[in-house]
Amino acid sequence: MPLGSSSSAIYLQTSALGSSANPGRALPTVTVHPVALFSILDHFLRRTDSQDRVIGTLIGTRNENEVEVRNCFAVLHSETSEQVAVDIEYHHSMFELHHRVNPKEVIVGWYSTGSNLNTYSALIQNFYSQETAPHQAVHLAMETGLQEGTQVGVKAYVSHTKSSSPLGVYPKAENCVFIPIPLELRFREAERSTLDLLTSPHSPLAPLTDLDVLSETLQSVSAMIDRVLAYVRSVLAGEVEGDAAVGRYLLDTLNTSVKGMDSGLNSHLQDTLMVSYLANLVRSQVEVSSRLALVT
Amino acid sequence: MATSMAATLAASLPAVQAAPAPTVSSYEALPASMSKVIDIEAQIPITRVQIDALVLTKITKHGQEAKSNNAAGLLLGLDLDGTLEVSNSFPLPTSQQAGDEEDKSTKFSGDDNCDAARYQASMLRALKEVQVDDNVVGFYQTISLGAYLLPSIKDMQAVHQEKLRHGGVVVVHDVTQSSRGIASFRAFRLTKNFTDVQRKGKFNSQNLVEHGLTFSSVFEEIPVEVRKSALLNAFLGGLKEARLEPDFSPRSALGVKEVRTLGSKYGVLDLNGPGQVNRNLEQVIERLDEYKTEEGNVAYLTRQSAREKARAELYVQKRKEENAARVAQGLAPLPEEDVSRLFKIPGEPSRLESMLLLGQIDGYTRSLAVASSDVLVKTYATRSSTPL
Repeated sequence: MPLGSSSSAIYLQTSALGSSANPGRALPTVTVHPVALFSILDHFLRRTDSQDRVIGTLIGTRNENEVEVRNCFAVLHSETSEQVAVDIEYHHSMFELHHRVNPKEVIVGWYSTGSNLNTYSALIQNFYSQETAPHQAVHLAMETGLQEGTQVGVKAYVSHTKSSSPLGVYPKAENCVFIPIPLELRFREAERSTLDLLTSPHSPLAPLTDLDVLSETLQSVSAMIDRVLAYVRSVLAGEVEGDAAVGRYLLDTLNTSVKGMDSGLNSHLQDTLMVSYLANLVRSQVEVSSRLALVT
Repeated sequence: MATSMAATLAASLPAVQAAPAPTVSSYEALPASMSKVIDIEAQIPITRVQIDALVLTKITKHGQEAKSNNAAGLLLGLDLDGTLEVSNSFPLPTSQQAGDEEDKSTKFSGDDNCDAARYQASMLRALKEVQVDDNVVGFYQTISLGAYLLPSIKDMQAVHQEKLRHGGVVVVHDVTQSSRGIASFRAFRLTKNFTDVQRKGKFNSQNLVEHGLTFSSVFEEIPVEVRKSALLNAFLGGLKEARLEPDFSPRSALGVKEVRTLGSKYGVLDLNGPGQVNRNLEQVIERLDEYKTEEGNVAYLTRQSAREKARAELYVQKRKEENAARVAQGLAPLPEEDVSRLFKIPGEPSRLESMLLLGQIDGYTRSLAVASSDVLVKTYATRSSTPL
């Protein structure tokens, strides 16, 4: 899933250049975990009045040609019209702390809010490139959409390393080409439940019980069936031209065989009833036992 | 804090601007509207726990990453007018990890506890510098299959109860529930009854009876609410909306505006469930066995205690009779000796262990019952729709 407006950049990969002998050149694919994005937003909310944007370090895992941003932490920095300062000591001690909980995660790059890439961005990128050497540092620019005319979104960039393709006659730290690269959201399947909860329209939001979740899912399935039905009706009525792909999908779905399911279902039902009975039996025994402990 | 931050900044970057003068903070008088909700003495009891979306995702992620079942971390936040607002959290290194590192590098030598304390302190200090709430309000722990009455949770909460304002809360996240597609977060704190008994130091039957303490009254549950910041809400809305890939899947023909990654996967509708029933049953049986062993221990200790008591009483009785006989014969009675020194009467065995085990069994069976009722509903629904 693209996390921002699509860019018109073309990605050319030459496999020869992307070999392990020269890891700096190949453009990595970047995935980001929602926790990192949420943390960036939280950090942005907690900025001081004087701060225009906030920056921080991205940590995650890197294998072959894929960078997975799994977490991030805020880093102190200050920007004035003359200079930019990043608290390197803070950055290092914070990474040390994170490292103790998650030894596998390494520094993969940095984030900032706002989407303007200026000279300071290049300088900070230069610093983080040293941190992640020999790999490229990934830069995530999160547009928070607070200013008018901007859209919420995240973009990922890498920069050309100075050694491989210097910019200008003399390579300088403040010169840098940010190359946009594709970015995807990635999380484990089991974490979906939490994200589902966060995106559900309830108010106030509270964790749901099993049956609530089930009924909601059924409702959404029912809504989807309604939608398909409406579409099929409109195709039959000749209002919309039918899509062959949709037709095939529908045929496949409706052809799903349910033969032989009954006996399986029955035995399954009996097993489940047995388990349910057993569970309730043990529970009442436990309750009785705990009450008996109070009787002397 | 402002000075130290400026100092670090200045130290890391030579010849920057002069460090800003440390601001002298002056306390303003509280406005009248706020004076009711701010309690310095922590007198307003906590009735709700409000967890930030960031914390929920952090806990879920930590629970999924941790291989063992005891991912734990600290919750940071504030309490305001009976609502405990949890705004951030950070994971704690498990003792397993710390042990590994000790083996490898011997860098973190020394006491494990002291090490963890140092980690906490430096993490809190670091977070404070970036304007994160640095007030510990409790901790979280991941569990599996609904058994939250674990000794580790009880111990940690008991420590917090003494130290923290309002005694702190524990947020319990069920990993197995979340792999079934249900985000389960529950907040607990120890009941007053339990802390009273704990303070007395003895979990014998007399104390338990006095306070009416069973496994269900060790923890009390506090309702949980989820909070999303407006910014996050906007961001999630942005993610959900109009991020349709311009592909040629049938979705585009149907005009479905749905995200591919954020939408539900309908795993909840799976008839079999991800095979947790076996594990759940195993756990129940295991705990039942443990409980039986524990019960045997308690019974043995009780018998021992009763036997010793009987012997002591018999001895006293004998001595009394002897004395009576001696008085009748006109002799001086023998001195009444201290019985407790002659007979070691073991104290009544602690019931805490068996109580916690019962609580765990209750948790396991409860989740088993809930899961199976869920499956029942689904199976019946499927059956009625199938032509029989």
